[in-house]
Amino acid sequence: MTANALTDLNVMVAGQGGDGSLTVISVLAELLARRGYHLYMSRNVASRIKGGHAEATMRGSLLQRGCLGDHIDLLVAFEQEAVDMAATRMAAESIIIFDASDGALCRDALAPNVRVVEIPFGRFAVRDLRRDLFKNSLSFGVLSHILSIDEGEATNCLHHIFRRLPQDAIAANTKALNRGRQYASELYAQQDRWTLADAERSEQLLISGNEAIAFGFLLAGGRFFAGYPITPATEVLESLQKHSVRFEAVAIQAEDELAAANMALGAAMTGVRSMTATSGPGFALMQETISHAGSAEIPLVVVNCQRAGPSTGMPTKPEQSDIDMMVFGANGDFPRVVLAPGEPRDCFELSVQATNLAQQLQCPVILALDQAVGQNSSTIEPFDLDAVQLQPGKRLDASELRNMSEYRRYQVTADGVSPWAVPGTPGGESLVTGNERNEWGQVSSNPQNRRTMVDKRQRKLDSNLQLLPRGKSWGDADASIGLLGIGMQQGVIEEAQQRLTAAGLRIKCLQPRTIWPVIDETLDFIRSSKRVYVIEHNQAGQLARLLLAAGASKACIGSIRKYDGEPFSPGELCSEIQQAEADRQGESGQ
Amino acid sequence: MTKTYQPNEPIWCAGCGHYGVRNALLAAFRQMQVESHQAMVLAGIGCAGTLQNNVSAYGYHALHGRVLPAATGAKLANPRLDVIAVGGDGDGYAIGCGHLIHSFKRNPGVVYILMNNGTYGLTKGQHSPTADAEETDEQAFDGVQLGLSIPGSGFIARGSSASPVQLQALMVAAMEHTRAGKGFAFLEVLSPCVTYNDTYPAWAGRMVNVDALAEYDCGDRIGAFTAVNSLLVENRFATGLIFKQDGKSPERRRLDSGQAPLCDLDISPDRQLSGFREIMAGYGV
Ligand SMILES: Cc1ncc(C[n+]2csc(CCOP(=O)(O)OP(=O)(O)O)c2C)c(N)n1
Ligand code: SF4
Ligand SMILES: [Mg+2]
Repeated sequence: MTANALTDLNVMVAGQGGDGSLTVISVLAELLARRGYHLYMSRNVASRIKGGHAEATMRGSLLQRGCLGDHIDLLVAFEQEAVDMAATRMAAESIIIFDASDGALCRDALAPNVRVVEIPFGRFAVRDLRRDLFKNSLSFGVLSHILSIDEGEATNCLHHIFRRLPQDAIAANTKALNRGRQYASELYAQQDRWTLADAERSEQLLISGNEAIAFGFLLAGGRFFAGYPITPATEVLESLQKHSVRFEAVAIQAEDELAAANMALGAAMTGVRSMTATSGPGFALMQETISHAGSAEIPLVVVNCQRAGPSTGMPTKPEQSDIDMMVFGANGDFPRVVLAPGEPRDCFELSVQATNLAQQLQCPVILALDQAVGQNSSTIEPFDLDAVQLQPGKRLDASELRNMSEYRRYQVTADGVSPWAVPGTPGGESLVTGNERNEWGQVSSNPQNRRTMVDKRQRKLDSNLQLLPRGKSWGDADASIGLLGIGMQQGVIEEAQQRLTAAGLRIKCLQPRTIWPVIDETLDFIRSSKRVYVIEHNQAGQLARLLLAAGASKACIGSIRKYDGEPFSPGELCSEIQQAEADRQGESGQ
Repeated sequence: MTKTYQPNEPIWCAGCGHYGVRNALLAAFRQMQVESHQAMVLAGIGCAGTLQNNVSAYGYHALHGRVLPAATGAKLANPRLDVIAVGGDGDGYAIGCGHLIHSFKRNPGVVYILMNNGTYGLTKGQHSPTADAEETDEQAFDGVQLGLSIPGSGFIARGSSASPVQLQALMVAAMEHTRAGKGFAFLEVLSPCVTYNDTYPAWAGRMVNVDALAEYDCGDRIGAFTAVNSLLVENRFATGLIFKQDGKSPERRRLDSGQAPLCDLDISPDRQLSGFREIMAGYGV
């Protein structure tokens, strides 16, 4: 590793919540971005306010990656616990920079080839700079020395991240940085230093999926949002609160998820594009409202950023175990769309599409995220803002309405979508209801009318399938083995496929972006394969089950699942697939 | 003229208190010259929650207990509308009570007419939160008392379907309050269920009309609280305009700060491209 520039580097900074571990990562991110690296960042914080283990992990790679690597190359640890927790993930020849303020590192859990640089940052920070917090800049100094960064570049990046701090704080941090560099140069052998690549820097955004959802919603004309805080979906609310004023939008914190969803419905009925966002427990509370939006035909976008369940589960850990609830939850038959983005760009694009689709189909559209997609940040090319187009759906204005001889809110049409007028439009007075009703909106339980209305609502989906977003497919189109996964699996599958291909396996991949209804593209992908591994984060194999129910052949589907709260690493997924392939071969050999 | 739906005749039992509420609302609409397309009548679920079918307006049948959040969203989105939320005591005091508390606190420009009959009419006579203590072993709940205890509340009134003139006046006052941007107007109506809980005779002698009391000051929260509580102790209740205080609704605050009604915004992305670009630049590395 020493001689050549690093093409792929995984760095973890870990300590107690409140240690400021994130600043070290931010400064390093700035540095790597300037050197032309792509970034992928994940935070893992115990669900407590302050204290408790907190870690931030960042991957810098010259190739764009959608997940963390298999191993950690560099660990900055502010406590023993951090080392113990990361021990099994440390790469061969990796380096640990350890804060030895409370004593020497016990390296029992570590492989012998892991190198450790022990410096009592905390103690030095207090002794020389009078504040424990400066240990972060100090440790960045050590890090910058090990990565062969010269003083000017290191200082520049530090200043950029701290640019909003008062001058004296910046000065103190600069001092800490230099102290760190000095200690490192005394302690760390020159010849063991690593070097970073210096690739061409392109314009990039560093953004999380949740932030991209919020941004996409605003671009798509979303102007009303109501939500109730819940990990890991809160950033959608927070982002929108931050940006709402400038677009005269409303982003309101409701008293609970029932209020949030119903406020959004109320606003949506007036024609304003509306959204709410939550995670599993809140999404469960919204079931009645989602069914109501389906019945009353009100355009509503609901984001469900999934976390590990059941119940309160593991709030900060990713899972994909609400697929059943999103697709089949809530009472009665009604049309709905479930879209699943895989990375921030996808989040942006599908947020735009979901907002449009809700208007076009007048039904609930669910955006299925998971904690990793929602909260992890990665670098992406800037969004193409000019490409965003609004689809108004069948909205009637006053003059159109005037020219009609009659207006029926729930008019039965060929594609099931009824033209609609919003309150305030003269001549559009109508009844909107979740009860079964006739075309005028008047309650009716007439059997003939009932069949007509149920069919009309279903037709909105069936006759508008062309509006639904296609998935992303890549790899060897003629391969007989397929990998299929949604959300956070996308980046891992991509990397695993590249490795498996390099190892001689022919593979094609699909990331379906519309998961409900199951569209032909998905089934065709499965039909054209001998085997498809469905990769997902839940115990029951909910996605695989959904595909089977939609007509995928049982013999073809292999299910690869995980539910320990930790994403697959590419290497882990490769071995799972290789193992499964070997098992298959073993079986067919007998 | 475009032909659109025609309001139905009510489906309530003969003698139901809710007729009085509907009639007073129609009269109040006439008095306030409400144009039907500018009125949105949102209803909860219950016998009370069918009133929207009997008025000419944009009607909406919300989920059980969720009429207030829906009304709040609608009013924030289109502040020009007269937004009238209606529902029963089960709807507002049981399943939706959390939203009532927060509506007092949030203060949206919504008129909320809660038809209190001390029972669940639609589901055939189970106890509601305001059911008589003698029958339920639980103390009855009082929404006026609740409203007075929340600092942000600004309009609290109680009418009776047996006193149509006063009821209409209270509705008009409530609509004036919301139209002036002062916020949430809560009007409980004693509206007996003749089928499951005929309280006409029992309630008749227990109402004390504060509008008729010369010394009563509806601008005095503490006075109102004392009066309401003293009456409750005597097993009587206050009717009339019980408390009024000028606040400012969130939609009015938005308008005052120069923001356009949400429903009027030009949302085409190219209109605000520079703003979007700036936000995107904030994520740049
Ligand atoms: C979530 C839910 N739970 C229960 C019901 C059944 N339900 C319908 S109306 C009602 C009570 C109605 O009582 P109230 O609000 O006092 O209205 P009233 O009929 O007395 O006018 C109930 C429990 C429902 N529709 N939805
Ligand atoms: S059951 Fe009671 S509340 Fe319902 S309509 Fe009949 S009288 Fe009115
Ligand atoms: Mg009732």
